[in-house]
Amino acid sequence: MLRARERGLVWCGALLLTAAPLAADYSLEDAQKFLTGYCQACHQGESASAGFRADDLSTIESFRSHPDDWTRLVARVSNSEMPPKGAPAPDLDAREDFLSWVEATWRQQACAADLAPPPTLIRRLNRDEYSASLRDLLDLQLDVKENLPVDGPGGEGFDNAAETLFLSPLHSEKYLETAKFVLDAASKEFKSRSLIFVARPEDGVSEREAAKKILERFLYRAFRRPVDGETIASYVNLFELARQQGRDFEPAIFFSLRSALVSPLFLFHVEPSGDDPVLRQYALASRLSYFLWGSMPDDLLLDIAAAGKMDDPDVLRMLVPRMLRDDRSLEFSTRFVEQWLRTRELEGSHAPDPELFSEYKEQAELRSDIRLQPVFFFQRQMRADASLLSFLDSDSTILTRSLVDLMGLHYEEKLSKNPEWIELPPGSNRGGLLSMPAVLAVSSYPYRTSPVLRGAWILDSILGAPPPPPPPNVPALDETQSAEEPKSVREMLTQHRANPVCASCHNRIDPLGFALENYDAIGRWRDEEAGKPVDAHGELTDGTSLDGPAGLKRALLDRNELFVRNLTKRMLGYALGRGLLPSDACAVETIVDRVQADDYHAWTLIREIVVSEPFRSVAAPAPESAAERLAEVRP
Amino acid sequence: MNLIRTRPLSRRTLLRGAGAALGLPWLEAMTPSVGRASQAAKSPVRMAFLYMPNGAYPETWTPKTAGRDFELTPSLEPLAALRDEVVVLSNLWNEQSKDGDGHYVKEAAILTCERIKKTQGADLRNGVSVDQMAARSAGRQTPLPSLELGVTPVAVGNDAVVGYTRVYGSHISWSTPTTPLARELNPKAVYERLFRAANGSSADEAKLDALLLDRVLADARQLRSQIGAEDKVRLDEYLAVMRSLEERIQRAGEPGANPWKPLAPINPDGAPTDHPSGHPEHVRLMLDMIAVAFQTDTTRISTFMFGNAVSNVSFRWLEGCTAGHHDVSHHQDKDDKLGEYKIINRWHVEQYAYLLERLRSMREGESTVLDNSMVLFASALADGNKHDPHKLPILLGGRGGGRVDTGQHLVYADDAPLSDVYVSMLDAFGTPVERFADSVGPIRGLLHS
Repeated sequence: MLRARERGLVWCGALLLTAAPLAADYSLEDAQKFLTGYCQACHQGESASAGFRADDLSTIESFRSHPDDWTRLVARVSNSEMPPKGAPAPDLDAREDFLSWVEATWRQQACAADLAPPPTLIRRLNRDEYSASLRDLLDLQLDVKENLPVDGPGGEGFDNAAETLFLSPLHSEKYLETAKFVLDAASKEFKSRSLIFVARPEDGVSEREAAKKILERFLYRAFRRPVDGETIASYVNLFELARQQGRDFEPAIFFSLRSALVSPLFLFHVEPSGDDPVLRQYALASRLSYFLWGSMPDDLLLDIAAAGKMDDPDVLRMLVPRMLRDDRSLEFSTRFVEQWLRTRELEGSHAPDPELFSEYKEQAELRSDIRLQPVFFFQRQMRADASLLSFLDSDSTILTRSLVDLMGLHYEEKLSKNPEWIELPPGSNRGGLLSMPAVLAVSSYPYRTSPVLRGAWILDSILGAPPPPPPPNVPALDETQSAEEPKSVREMLTQHRANPVCASCHNRIDPLGFALENYDAIGRWRDEEAGKPVDAHGELTDGTSLDGPAGLKRALLDRNELFVRNLTKRMLGYALGRGLLPSDACAVETIVDRVQADDYHAWTLIREIVVSEPFRSVAAPAPESAAERLAEVRP
Repeated sequence: MNLIRTRPLSRRTLLRGAGAALGLPWLEAMTPSVGRASQAAKSPVRMAFLYMPNGAYPETWTPKTAGRDFELTPSLEPLAALRDEVVVLSNLWNEQSKDGDGHYVKEAAILTCERIKKTQGADLRNGVSVDQMAARSAGRQTPLPSLELGVTPVAVGNDAVVGYTRVYGSHISWSTPTTPLARELNPKAVYERLFRAANGSSADEAKLDALLLDRVLADARQLRSQIGAEDKVRLDEYLAVMRSLEERIQRAGEPGANPWKPLAPINPDGAPTDHPSGHPEHVRLMLDMIAVAFQTDTTRISTFMFGNAVSNVSFRWLEGCTAGHHDVSHHQDKDDKLGEYKIINRWHVEQYAYLLERLRSMREGESTVLDNSMVLFASALADGNKHDPHKLPILLGGRGGGRVDTGQHLVYADDAPLSDVYVSMLDAFGTPVERFADSVGPIRGLLHS
C-alpha cells in the first residue's frame, strides 16, 4: 500500500483537450525507450541511484507490482526534476507523450492493482463546518465563521483538506471566545434551551443527575458519536467545579458545554482506530453529513449509525436524494461550487473594478445574484437529478431580474427578484456554467478580459488539465517582438505563439479563451470592443474550429469524458477531505463509467461517490468481521 | 526581585481619561518609580517584518552610492525624513528560493530561507521563520508571543499550473516546517485581541478557563493514545496551541508571578473599523495595529503581508495606476507599465515610512519605540518582470535598542545570504543563534561592533 506522503502526480494529467490526443500508436515500447534513454543510466540494477530501479518498470504488470515506483517516477518527470540538470532530457512533447501514456495505462490497471485506500487522517472542522455545526448543534441562526482565520486550500483545491488544516495560536483564542459567544446567545433562545435542558433538578432528580442527563445528550450530539461514561463523568465534574466556584446551575451547565465546544472531540473529525465497528458507523455518518450538508449529522443519521446500517450501500444510495433535497445541501453547493469554479474570489482580489463596472460595486443585489447564480444552478440540477452535461450547456438556467438586465435578455414578463429556473430564449448563449457572469468575471482581470486567463481557467476547472507553467528562461515578450507595436491582445498573442517555446502551451490555452471574447469582464455581451468587432474565433490544435461560445460548448460536449472525470475527481476529493492518491484511481474510473452508463445523472455521481471504497473505508478490518462484531455490540 | 511600587495613577483612572490610544504618548507617570531610572536601558527590543509581493524595479530602488552619503532613489524618497533611521541593504539573495516557480517558493521562504517542498498540500514543508525563531525564546515575555497580520485572505484553490498550494503564497510566518501561522485580517478584531491580551481576565474567569483547558487537554491526550502516527501531528498542534494558551492564562491570572506590565494602556473604545474603505485604509489600519502592539508591549514580534504571492490587487485607486499589482510587475520594460510599477513600489515605501514615523512618535523614556525596534521591509523578488531572487530589495528601519548602525547603504558582494541579516537581527533582539538556515554568520556592518 502506498503511504500518503508519496502522493502521486499521476493526477496532474498531461492529457490536454487540445493537445495531440494520446497517440494511439504510443506503446509500452515507446515508454521503454523513454526510460532507457533518460533514466536507466543511473537508475538500473542493484546499485541504482536512490534505490530507484527504472528497469523494474519494463512491463504493464509493473503498474500492479510497483505502483509506488511509477508514482515517484511520474512526480519527478512531470515536475521536470528528472532527468537532472546536465543529463540528456526529453523535450516537452516527449515528456507529455510519456506521461499521457502512463496516465492512460494507469487508469486501465488501477482496479487490477487493487491498492488499499490510505488510512483517513484526523482533521479539524474548517471554519465553515465549525460555524454550521454550532448552528445545528444549538439550533441557532448564527454565522460565526468570520471569527476564525480563513482556511487554505489543499487536496483537490478545497479548504476542507486534512493536509492543510493547521492550527495556530490564533485559533485557540478564537475557539475559546466563540464558544462563549454562541452559548451566551443560546442561553437566551427558547429553541436552543429546549435542546440543551433535557433535564432539570427537581424532586427526585439531583443537580448532578440532571447535569449528567444534559451532558449525555449534548456530548453525543456535539461529538457525533457515543461518549464513554468516563468522559461524561469528567464533564459532569467540570459542572460541579463551576458550582463550587459559585456559579448557579445554568451557568455551570453552560460552562461545561463551553468546554465541550473547545474539545478536540468537537473540533476534529475523528476517525476510529481500525477495529472499532461502532465508531466506524458514526464516522461514516459524519462523513456523509459533512459532504452533503457541510455540517453535523442529524438524529436520523445518528440513529442509522446506531443501528449499524450506515455502511450499507443501499442505505447510502437511498439517503442521497433525501439529503440533497434538504436545505442544508445549499452549504455543499456553495462551498463546492465556489471553490471548484473559484468564484469565491469575486469577493476579494478578483472583484471587478469599481470604477469601470460601477453597477457591480453599487448594486448589492446584482453582486449577490452574480455570485449565487452558479451555486443555485448547481443546487437545482443536483436536486432534480439532472444531467451533469447541463453544466457545459443547458436550455434553462437560474435568472433574476437583475441578471436578465445585465445579460441583455428579453422576456415578456418582468422577472422576479428571486432566483427562478427559466427557459432561455433561443440563441441566448447563456446556457451552462461557462457563460455565467460569475465565471466570466473570475477568469478575467478586474479591469479587462484575458483570453489566456479564461483559457487556462477552462483547462484547469472544467477539464482538469491545467497547462504546464511557462518554461524557465522564456524570453520576455519584448525580445521576440517586431519593432511595430501590436495593436490588440489577439495580435500580441499571435506574436507570442510565433515563438515555438510559447506556442506549445498557448496553442492550447488561447483558442478556448478567444471563444468567450464576446463577454466582457463582468459577463455582459459585446459585439464590439474598443470600436472593433469582436473576433471570437479560435482553432484547437486538432483543427477543430471554434466560433464563439456555442462552438466552444459543442467542442466541450464532444469531449465530455474529460469534464466528467475532472468533476468526479474534484467531488471525490471534496467528499474525502483530502487529495486523491493513486489508490483512488480505480474508484474514479468506476464512478466515471457508471455516470456515463447512466446518462450522466447527478444522483449517480453522488451515489457512486458515497458507496465507493475510499469513501466507505475507515481503515477498518474486513467488512464481515465488522458486521459480526457489530451484531455482538448491538443485538 | 521585589519592587516596592508606588501608584502615581491607577490604571482605571487612565483608561477612563485616556482618549484615543492611537498615538497616545508613552505615559511616564505609569512607570513604577523604582523601575523608571533603568527603563531607558531596559526598553524591550521589537521586530517586525513587512512583506511586499511582486518585487521592485532595481533602477529606481537601489541607491547609486554606498555608505552614509547615499542618495535616496525615487522609490525610496518617502524615507527622506527617516534617512538616519534606516539601512538600505543591497545585493542580498535567498539562494534556497532560486528554483521551483516564480513566486511561491520565493515568498514562502522569505523569512525561512529554506527550500519549500513542491506540493499541492499533502506534504507541505518549509523551515521555521526568523520571527518564530525569536518567538520561541522570547514569546513568553509578552501576552501574545507574536502577531501575524495581512489584508488579503488565503487565495482559493491550488495553483495547478505550477503545482503549489496557494497556502505557500499566503504565509510567511512558520512556527514549524509544517505549520504556517494563520493571519488576522480584520483590524478591529486585532485591536480587540490586543486589548484582551493586555488586560487579561478576572481571576475568577481565569480559574474557570484553566479548568476548561485542563479538560480539553485531557480529551486530546486520550484521543492521541488512540490514533495513528500520522494523525498525532495534527493533535500535537492542538496540544501545543492549547497549552500555550493555558500558560498565558495562568501567567495573566497570577499577578505576583507575572512580571509583564503594559508600557501604555489600550483604550477600550479605540477599536478601528472592521470595514476599511479600501486597500490603502486597510493597510494603514493593520500597520497601526503593529504600532499599538509595540507601544503597549503586548507583543514584540510581528509580520505583515501587503498581499499574497502573485498578488494582483488592483491599484487603480492610486493616481497613475490602471491595473493590478502582478499584472504591472510584468512590465516588459514598456514605459506605461513600468511607470505604474514604480508608482506601486513607491506607495509601499510610503506605508513603510508611515509605520516608522508612528513608532518614532511614540516616546519611551529617553528614546522612542522606533529606537527600540527593527522593522524589516522585504520583497522576495528583485525585478518582478524576471522572477529573480538576486539583489533583493531589503530595508531595515529602527535602531534595535541601539544595536543597529542606521543611516547607511550597505552594499555587499553579489549573492550575500539574506539569512545573515536574520542572524544579526536575532542577536540584536536578544535571542542570538549561531546559524540561521543557510547563513554563514552575522551580516557585516549592520550592527555596531
